[in-house]
Amino acid sequence: MRPLDWIVLAVTLASIVLYGLYKGRGSKTVSQYLLAGKTMPWYAMGLSIMATQASAITFISTTGQSYVDGMRFVQFYFGLPVAMVILSATAVPIFHRANVYTAYEYLEKRFDPKTRALASAVFLIQRGLAAGLALAAPAIVLSVILGWPDRLTIAMMGALVIGYTVMGGIKAITWTDVQQMLIIFCGLAASLVMAIRLLPRGVSFVDAVYLAGAVGKLNAVDLHLDWNNRYNLWSGLVGGAFLALSYFGCDQSQVQRYLTGKSIAQSKLSLLFNAMAKIPMQFFILFVGAMVFVFYLFERPPVLFDQTALAKPEVAARIAPVERDFTVAFEERREAGWRLIEARRNHDAAARAGTLARYRRAQRALDAARQRGARLVEQTTGQTVNDTNYIFLSFVTRYLPAGLVGLVIAVIFAAAMASISGEINSLATVTIVDIYRRHVHKSASDRHYLLASRLATAFWAIYAVAFANYGKTIGSLIEAVNMLGSLFYGTLLGVFALAFLVPRVRGNGAFYGMLAGEAAILAAFKFTGISFLWYNVIGCLVVVATGLLISVFENRREVVR
Amino acid sequence: MTPAGPDRNHMPDDPPPFLGSWRRVYAAVLAYLAGLILLFWAFTRAFS
Repeated sequence: MRPLDWIVLAVTLASIVLYGLYKGRGSKTVSQYLLAGKTMPWYAMGLSIMATQASAITFISTTGQSYVDGMRFVQFYFGLPVAMVILSATAVPIFHRANVYTAYEYLEKRFDPKTRALASAVFLIQRGLAAGLALAAPAIVLSVILGWPDRLTIAMMGALVIGYTVMGGIKAITWTDVQQMLIIFCGLAASLVMAIRLLPRGVSFVDAVYLAGAVGKLNAVDLHLDWNNRYNLWSGLVGGAFLALSYFGCDQSQVQRYLTGKSIAQSKLSLLFNAMAKIPMQFFILFVGAMVFVFYLFERPPVLFDQTALAKPEVAARIAPVERDFTVAFEERREAGWRLIEARRNHDAAARAGTLARYRRAQRALDAARQRGARLVEQTTGQTVNDTNYIFLSFVTRYLPAGLVGLVIAVIFAAAMASISGEINSLATVTIVDIYRRHVHKSASDRHYLLASRLATAFWAIYAVAFANYGKTIGSLIEAVNMLGSLFYGTLLGVFALAFLVPRVRGNGAFYGMLAGEAAILAAFKFTGISFLWYNVIGCLVVVATGLLISVFENRREVVR
Repeated sequence: MTPAGPDRNHMPDDPPPFLGSWRRVYAAVLAYLAGLILLFWAFTRAFS
């Protein structure tokens, strides 16, 4: 980082905190602090929803994922617009009219206290783990790329977030999310422009797109149905819709966003805005990754972008043969790339077919060398290699000009802060509304609950920082906790589906349905190889089926009596 | 400690600012999704 980068980073972060403090002033009641007094317009809620969902690690790794695996990850979001339409038609008016602070508060109105308590506990466990890791994950990557101490990065992010979140509540969070999304868009656009501008003379944008597509990096749609394939059109549409229904319909970190709307219509518009903007945004991020891939067709990339893994003496001593094979494959691929451009421009079909085969062979050889390098690191050090997370930031810090590096690092901070602030705010809300006010202190003054909400927010922020410091020592836990999220969402979705769609089901059906759904998901996780996207479908269906069965028995028993 | 705002139990579901009804807005969003998928499919076919 050069002086200009530090200036850009400092100014951007300072502006986020100051803007948050400014917009959050005047939150003097619990309603203002937790729901912004229900005054928010649709565009602010919509951008806040997108900012909360896009964590820093998603942003960092999505570009890397495209570099390695192509653009097929975009299909993961195909179910999102379907979910947004369903939620706009069902959850939004129901939650608004129920006049609740949390989604789980509604479950008590609809079912009973034990169902609300179980759903709240599931949320606190799952989101509590995720909040710590949302801080830890970008800190680990930044520490490797920039050499910053990860404790310092975690503490810095935590301190910045605590400042405006504790003081300003959700109003501050929503408006800073808007600002953070604008910074993210600027950073992404600048990265794409630079990736294209850094291509060698003689390689046009169309050539770049052609070269990326020729080795499957632009595989945005895969029509083949495969239960074990995480990203295809069908898993994206069905599994993705269920995941989005769970996340946006049952996760308080998202529900709270659209509960701040000044009307039902404004809340609906915020979700529908997300439905229309999210897929193009993800496509754009993945396309940046594809262009970074093309840049590295002409500039030799390292065998592994995580340089700390290669720097270990025991790895360095054995990496030479891998480096040699990698260099040979790279030279061959670069040569084939140039010839392919030439053949395409000359409309020479025969030369094009031959060169294309050569280009793809070289890409396979390069991938094989990379995999050998990763295996070598894993066998020598015993650590899992997750190189995808380091690709984009490595490109940024090595090749982008002064000022832009600072902007992209600010984007990583902004994305991390946006998701963490939303998470700790929702954790505090559930703690106070569903636990403290419901079970500990039932009838205190508004001022008392406001202070308790501020203290709970500070508690969850400090907890996130502490957990992040612990979580960073066990890198593979990040993947485990991502998986953990999907282990719970299906159950939550099932209980809300019962609440909204099946009036005959009552408390026992919902509660035991949740337990059965959770058991089914854990069984699928433990005993099958089914992709995690389908867990939400399985859990939801089992909850609904069990709830219905129990309600049938209950109704029969009442008739007999 | 209840959320502020008008009487939420009788909160009206205002019409959307465009297209006349929410059903039409939902249909437009789903049509947009279908269009995007078609576009991405054509993109995949054209460059892979």
